[in-house]
Amino acid sequence: MAYYILKRIGYMLLTFFIVITLTFLSMKLLPGTPFKQQNRLTPEQLNQLMHYYGLDQPVPVQYVRYLWNFIHGDLGGSFQYGMQPVTDFLWQRFPVSLQLGIEAMIVGTIFGILFGVIAGMYRSTTLDWGTMAFSVVGFSIPSFIFAAILQYVFGVQLRLFPVAGWNDPWNHVLPVISLAIGVTAEVARFMRTEMVEVLSQDYIVTAEAKGLASSAIVMKHGIRNALIPIVTVLGPLTAAVVTGSLVIENIFTIPGIGTQFVESVVTNDYPMIMATTEVYAGLYIVTIFIVDILYGVIDPRIRVSGGGK
Amino acid sequence: MADIKVTGDLFVPSDIDHTLSEKIARKSTSVWKDAMRRFVQNKGAMVSMVIIAIIVVMAMIGSVLSPYDIDDQDLTRSNLPPKISTLSWIPLFDGKENGVDTYQQRGITKDFWFGTDSFGRDLWTRTWQGTRISLIIALVATLVDVFIGVVYGGISGYFGGAVDTVMQRILEIIAGIPNLVWIILLILVMKPGLLAITIAILATSWLTMARIVRGQVLKLKDQEFVLASRTLGSSGGRIIVRHLLPNSLGMIIVNTMFSIPTAIFFEALLSFIGLGIRQPEASLGSLINAGYEILQIHPYQTLYPGLVISLLLICFNIMGDGLRDAFDPKLRR
Amino acid sequence: MEHLLEIKDLNVQFNIFGSTVQAVRGVSLQLNQGETLAIVGESGSGKSVTSKAIMGLIPNPPGEIASGEILFQGKNLVHYSKKQMQKIRGKEISMIFQDPMTALNPTMRIGKQIIEGLIKHQSMPKSVARDRAVELLTLVGIPNPEKRVDEYPHQFSGGMRQRVVIAIALACHPNILIADEPTTALDVTIQAQILDLLKELQRKRHTSIILITHDLGVVANIADRVAVMYGGKIVETGTLDEIFYQPKHPYTWGLLSSMPKLHSKAKKLQAIPGSPPDLSDPPQGCPFAPRCPYAMKVCQEHMPDQAVLSDTQRTACWLLDDRAPKVEPPETIRAGGE
Repeated sequence: MAYYILKRIGYMLLTFFIVITLTFLSMKLLPGTPFKQQNRLTPEQLNQLMHYYGLDQPVPVQYVRYLWNFIHGDLGGSFQYGMQPVTDFLWQRFPVSLQLGIEAMIVGTIFGILFGVIAGMYRSTTLDWGTMAFSVVGFSIPSFIFAAILQYVFGVQLRLFPVAGWNDPWNHVLPVISLAIGVTAEVARFMRTEMVEVLSQDYIVTAEAKGLASSAIVMKHGIRNALIPIVTVLGPLTAAVVTGSLVIENIFTIPGIGTQFVESVVTNDYPMIMATTEVYAGLYIVTIFIVDILYGVIDPRIRVSGGGK
Repeated sequence: MADIKVTGDLFVPSDIDHTLSEKIARKSTSVWKDAMRRFVQNKGAMVSMVIIAIIVVMAMIGSVLSPYDIDDQDLTRSNLPPKISTLSWIPLFDGKENGVDTYQQRGITKDFWFGTDSFGRDLWTRTWQGTRISLIIALVATLVDVFIGVVYGGISGYFGGAVDTVMQRILEIIAGIPNLVWIILLILVMKPGLLAITIAILATSWLTMARIVRGQVLKLKDQEFVLASRTLGSSGGRIIVRHLLPNSLGMIIVNTMFSIPTAIFFEALLSFIGLGIRQPEASLGSLINAGYEILQIHPYQTLYPGLVISLLLICFNIMGDGLRDAFDPKLRR
Repeated sequence: MEHLLEIKDLNVQFNIFGSTVQAVRGVSLQLNQGETLAIVGESGSGKSVTSKAIMGLIPNPPGEIASGEILFQGKNLVHYSKKQMQKIRGKEISMIFQDPMTALNPTMRIGKQIIEGLIKHQSMPKSVARDRAVELLTLVGIPNPEKRVDEYPHQFSGGMRQRVVIAIALACHPNILIADEPTTALDVTIQAQILDLLKELQRKRHTSIILITHDLGVVANIADRVAVMYGGKIVETGTLDEIFYQPKHPYTWGLLSSMPKLHSKAKKLQAIPGSPPDLSDPPQGCPFAPRCPYAMKVCQEHMPDQAVLSDTQRTACWLLDDRAPKVEPPETIRAGGE
């Protein structure tokens, strides 16, 4: 197990290093300079600026310098905000995005498990059918469409919830629901399949033969075993939530990494684009890692053999 | 009770044909026919297929049915609500917005079936043109994705050993980067547009296909029928073409069916955050984005592209589910 | 004399895809205290369904007990509610399953799996139950039980897992133990160990056992009485000796002939040609008639009554009718029981 975790950490670092390199390289390939908006600049001024930011150096030199600074926690200054350190923005905005993502994941997973268990237990009933219909719709339609609908109906028409902002708990309702629908749907689908599978296992019959009540069988033998594989979808789901939050934040004007990212793309704010990209990548890589380890901890079969798939 | 009817003459040897009991009750069917039969029986999947077919047809001919071009701007007819004269008894198509008949107000006699946008462009034409673009992107991305995925996964799985190890490590690292980051970086480097989006989507979607094909090939290549074929002197190429690919085809088709909606989704997402198709061209995502900006005033402008994309995504997913169930050997009876 | 368990004219059917499969058709059985009854038959003969019916474990839908009585200590279990049945299961009647690899919950420590029933039926505190689990593991012959009680099923071998399954079944001192093909999934050497264990446990605890099997070797090893099932019906029943030395039903003959024998000169194993009847459309007459080498016209049209051959032996075959031609059992069954 220890060896496995070490190996995974190694991979994690390697992947992250490649992401950093890729973002750096793609920034170098970008058309246009970050100063193209400022038309009034004379060529000399422009050259001065380029020199000031080290953009006139050969690319490998810039790269090494970038890595060096990165290791020391310096991600450069934002072009659009007068060279204020990018990390300042990240520290301010990252917790917001993280909170949105975690809230959506928690809400989505809880409801998903609930729906999935119900559908799996009452297989081939109207309840099952309805849950699965909801699930296909929730799974198929992108979160930003749900966000637009929710914002229009509950925010604009019914005026039940605020349409923008993040400070008040009421602000969280619509964005979290928009993101959580997809998670709920995916988890419910998966959970249902697992429940059906688990409830058809021989050990369920063994439990029945012991004279346990059906509720005890579903709780102790059914749900626990069905839950284990759910951990595997949490990784891809996190990726989906990260992707979704990028748009959701913009729709509900939430001051997170997502709005920052879109803003920096529009203004060619290279350091900010790189930094936000790296934050997203880092978040994803770490989540996948945690999910992997979690899976090993939960399933005793994997825990002991010390491997994992 | 039975004894009443039993008479002595029944106690003679019967002429039962014992071979009859060895007969196989049901005709054997091939995996393909079996899967097709199950798929056709799946009502949800069949309805989805019809809806997708209708949308595809409309994407091809829809814009021709309207006299307006995708870029026919005319500010005098901007932001008109949908109107279909023959269907005007339906509130959605009466050409009125908040009770006001905008058409009458501006003296416009023509109908705009899905209304117009803020530049006065016909949304019917734009919606179906946009659908066409979205579908083309999805289709091209998926086809190339299948090709790359099958080749990469096939090589990796078939040769195994060091080749497999190296190829899998590469794949693992690429898969470690979130899709969105990959896609956005690629879009930024290339000029945003049809090709850039397609390549960006492709860059991430082939990973899944490669993994699935590799898994299938790994599983199949050690099975006895492949060994048998090898023993009979089949070449590697023949084994791949005759045994490995046909037996993986089910999984490949199923995964393809899921790749298409993923591609449609990413296109819409990119266009929605302004990294996709640029004006005056339209895609479903860019239409939703444009409509979203004035959603509070003219909700109908988001309605139709939103509806089309939702239907497409739902139907492709249901069809994918249907195909997966049809091919799933666990359900085979 | 009152039997511990008596099944009267049991009918079980499954409604699947619009057709009704009559898996058990009018089965009657008795089981006495301390006795081992073997129910023998090939797959689909209804033997497992009969045992599930006793446990009240027929999945409903699609299955249901259409008619008949299952009398346990004089009480009819068919009419018991779900709750009442839960009190019987595990406590009065327990079951051992065919495949020990899948019969245990892979994510639960085996100790917990053993004591679940104890806690439910005897409201035993957990600490006491744990000691009981260790005792039970010792009883079924698992070495080092104090340590192994906290392990997971995947840390046990197949034979050891079956011992755990038996320990679970025995936890509450049941009156009846139903063993559904308990050795089929095990290696031959392990099979013998498990059978010895069952015999020993029966001696110690005086439990009645219903053994479901298709393996006559297992039957000869352990059973007191035998019921032969075919096509959802019991075609012949009798003591072990009666079934092995004076079988009267051609299907029993076929089963005995198909047993591999050590001293036989025959080069090929005898098989019964054909396959069992389709129970969604059960034959009107004797279910074995289509495969029976002695079949007469009457066999196809009427189900024979149970002929009483001794206090213990009953056989349902038209060959035993006075009007039937006299038939000698084939030579191949002779070596069967020796």
